[in-house]
Amino acid sequence: MFYRLSGVHHNSYVSESRLYRIPADRNLALFFLALGLVAPLLVGSLYLNSYLLPWLVWTAAALGLNLVTGWAGQLHLGYAAVMAVGAYSAVHAAKFGIPWEFALLIGGISASVVGSLFAFAALRVKGLYLALTTLAMQFVMDWVLTHSPAISGGSHASLQAPTFALLGQPITSDIGLYYIAFSWCLLVTVFMLNLRRTGLGRALVAVREKDYAAAILGVNSFYYKIVAFATSSFIGGVSGAVLVATFFFLAAPEQFSVTVSIQVLAMVIVGGLGSTIGTFFGVALILLAPGVVNGIVAKGAIALGLQLNVETLAHIPTATYGALIIIILMVEPLGLGKLYGNIRDYLMVWPFDQLKR
Amino acid sequence: MKEMDNNYNRRQADAKVPPVLECCGIERRFGGIVAVTGVDLSIRRGEIFGLVGPNGSGKTTVTNAITGFYPPNKGSIYLDGKDITGTAPHKVATLGVARTFQNLALFNGMSVLENILLGRHIHMKPGVFPTALYWWLARPEEMRNREVVEEVIEFLQLESIRNELVDGIPIGLKKRVELARALVAEPHLLILDEPMAGMNQEEKGYMARFILDARAERGISVLLIEHHMDVITGICDRMLALNYGEMIASGLPKEVVKDPRVVDAYIGGAHG
Ligand SMILES: Nc1ncnc2c1ncn2[C@@H]1O[C@H](COP(=O)(O)OP(=O)(O)OP(=O)(O)O)[C@@H](O)[C@H]1O
Ligand SMILES: [Mg+2]
Repeated sequence: MFYRLSGVHHNSYVSESRLYRIPADRNLALFFLALGLVAPLLVGSLYLNSYLLPWLVWTAAALGLNLVTGWAGQLHLGYAAVMAVGAYSAVHAAKFGIPWEFALLIGGISASVVGSLFAFAALRVKGLYLALTTLAMQFVMDWVLTHSPAISGGSHASLQAPTFALLGQPITSDIGLYYIAFSWCLLVTVFMLNLRRTGLGRALVAVREKDYAAAILGVNSFYYKIVAFATSSFIGGVSGAVLVATFFFLAAPEQFSVTVSIQVLAMVIVGGLGSTIGTFFGVALILLAPGVVNGIVAKGAIALGLQLNVETLAHIPTATYGALIIIILMVEPLGLGKLYGNIRDYLMVWPFDQLKR
Repeated sequence: MKEMDNNYNRRQADAKVPPVLECCGIERRFGGIVAVTGVDLSIRRGEIFGLVGPNGSGKTTVTNAITGFYPPNKGSIYLDGKDITGTAPHKVATLGVARTFQNLALFNGMSVLENILLGRHIHMKPGVFPTALYWWLARPEEMRNREVVEEVIEFLQLESIRNELVDGIPIGLKKRVELARALVAEPHLLILDEPMAGMNQEEKGYMARFILDARAERGISVLLIEHHMDVITGICDRMLALNYGEMIASGLPKEVVKDPRVVDAYIGGAHG
């Protein structure tokens, strides 16, 4: 149903290696692309800029982390630190008078340099040790940010970002900022989708799955791990900068604290390691669910005429949200992306569901 | 399989070219265990060379020494006359050595096609920019390599399963996919570690045919580790037998299998 393989014939390798081989997948993707493009016409600026925009930017960021953790299989607990490097470098560059296009690039490159230098040292260890080393990176970055006023912007430890501008045109409207976030997320998404059909993506999976088998095929695992760290740090750095430029408008250390690192990792894991569409779901859940649950609980309490004290009101959403994550991971340990995949596979063979594998 | 002897004699004539692979006095220890010692072997161009021995006699250790996973503690290894002792595995691969593993080393979660495409890695230049600019940079390269892969898929008759995940296919086919992945790298030297383990007679026959055809069509030299003596005597030009990490006999298969020490090792040893 909806998804059909029958009647789909590819008569060239190019056609067979399209991003979406099944028409329904392609149509769905195009539908969401169109929805994203016309969103400013559909929703008010409150929703656009306080829900949709951060969702898109965090998705771009989480996709970057998914590259290193999901694709290359390297646990990373210091991703927010990498985002911070990007954000602060970009804001400082912009304050210095460098056009924002280049400031973003500078943010990405400096994050990439810091991220891969760090990986260079960290990759001598594996698994949990690597995770701990990346966590150390996060703490070092936190310390640097809180102890160097020159970087973090003086005694208030907040750094005002200059007005975002493209080609010299200042962009201040809500819609303009939304499209900046939208474009960045689109670029990263397309990159991640392309990974599925290029040698880079295959090499990363090979390194993750069986490094000795990868080696005998000529894949240098150390090199590809560094490439994964460098690329993911670039994506994280630019995402951090875009987040400050279009959403926070000022950079502060707590925006990139260890809690944030863990939150991004949660987005990736709940969404599904290596899954692009899953990352969109994962970010939506982690970022937006607390607000939604909060709203429901508050409204529900009023509707039922319950007198809940402030403390209970604050705890219920957190507990619900935690339970939600646990339930999702219990139902499908591979995350929301896999859950979607299961539904799609089921519909693909419906009504012959005995064919289901 | 009689015609193989003639092939061998023909190649004997041009034995002047340096051997594809030459190992001199290889020794490899693991802690206190001497896994192999004093192993010499030389594989000529276009030759299928058999390596046999009871379980634990050090066959896999020899291939691990050649491919750089466990460099020898003593001795040297030459590939086409070039010293490659201790070279890292990923570099050995770029020098034209491909191998399959005794315990299958396919990448689960990937399709048969993607697994085989990975075999083309050394002929491609994957990177971040080609991925970002797929349509302009990566696609032409991917398509060119896809054609090479499709040739091998056809050769090994894997067309019907190319889009299946490797996780789910039967072991006999997995072994064939791994052979395909090694072949698409267009190696000079192919090392096969028990490619027919766990196969029935028919599958073994297919595999033997594939190995002979690969040599005939692609001029590949093969180092074949096998427990099935009928296969070794059937398709190998020369062979070497190991026992407890030491060479016990080498030469023409029909002579080696009659060597009393080899008979002893197999009948007296762990292997029935
Ligand atoms: N990584 C290792 N660490 C420790 N000991 C090892 C290692 N690899 C091999 N050995 C030892 O070296 C000896 C030779 O093992 P090897 O795997 O080379 O034998 P094999 O001839 O391939 O046997 P089989 O027919 O079972 O595959 C064995 O005693 C084995 O225990
Ligand atoms: Mg072995």
